[in-house]
Amino acid sequence: MHSIYARANGISGLWSTCVMVLLGAVALSSFLFNADSKGSLDIVSLKVFHSKTRRYPFRNEEIGFVKFNLSADLTPLFNWNTKQLFVYLEAEYTNAQGVNNTVVIWDRIVRRKDDATIDIVQKEKYKLRDLSGSFSNVHPAQYSLKYSVMPYVGVLTYGEAARTTEAIDFPDARDSVS
Amino acid sequence: MTIQELVEGRIDFKGQKTADDIVRVVLITSTFLSFVIGFAFSSLMITMSTFALCTVALSLVVLPPWPMFNRHPVTWLSESVQEQK
Repeated sequence: MHSIYARANGISGLWSTCVMVLLGAVALSSFLFNADSKGSLDIVSLKVFHSKTRRYPFRNEEIGFVKFNLSADLTPLFNWNTKQLFVYLEAEYTNAQGVNNTVVIWDRIVRRKDDATIDIVQKEKYKLRDLSGSFSNVHPAQYSLKYSVMPYVGVLTYGEAARTTEAIDFPDARDSVS
Repeated sequence: MTIQELVEGRIDFKGQKTADDIVRVVLITSTFLSFVIGFAFSSLMITMSTFALCTVALSLVVLPPWPMFNRHPVTWLSESVQEQK
């Protein structure tokens, strides 16, 4: 502590420890907030069309077009340590071989508490397609709204906010009207 | 003061002890205080800015060689004691 440099060096040791303790306390405080949010999700319409795959334009595949009615109140998830919410809509089904598939068809990033209520009737953002290229042998699908809470410091938490009440069957594929 | 004395910022031993005590007390209380205040106002921005302000204030108090750290200069023995050897 005899010179300015020595005092600065001495301060920086305890200071970095204090910063880490402070951030650790903030991360631990996230566990005090156990909020759960609920909403409702309905599928307005679901159509399946024949189309070409994006990569190989000579190959045919079936694409699903979903229109959904979604309302959810996600404001309870915002605490002082919430940086943003990642909200996504998933289609879950088992295929003919018994394998569980989940396809994300819509997502949104919510950065502020004011934007945390969702009340939309929308179509999908991403393609709803099966890896095999066809929905003909696939079991009926459930749709669910899931969220990830991303903190400033700490553990990533996740949950489910809404779910369709019953599984919806995929209709037969038809040719699109051109 | 020469430039070297300015940059060095020497303080006496009792001053160094005082500086060390101030640093320890201020850093630990500012950690605790900024967490509590930020939690009360539910804003991480307030937490970080109170901690930053406390750090800046601490640097201003402890880093420069203020006169209060130089109140007890070292008393060296007079030259006549050395010559007797």
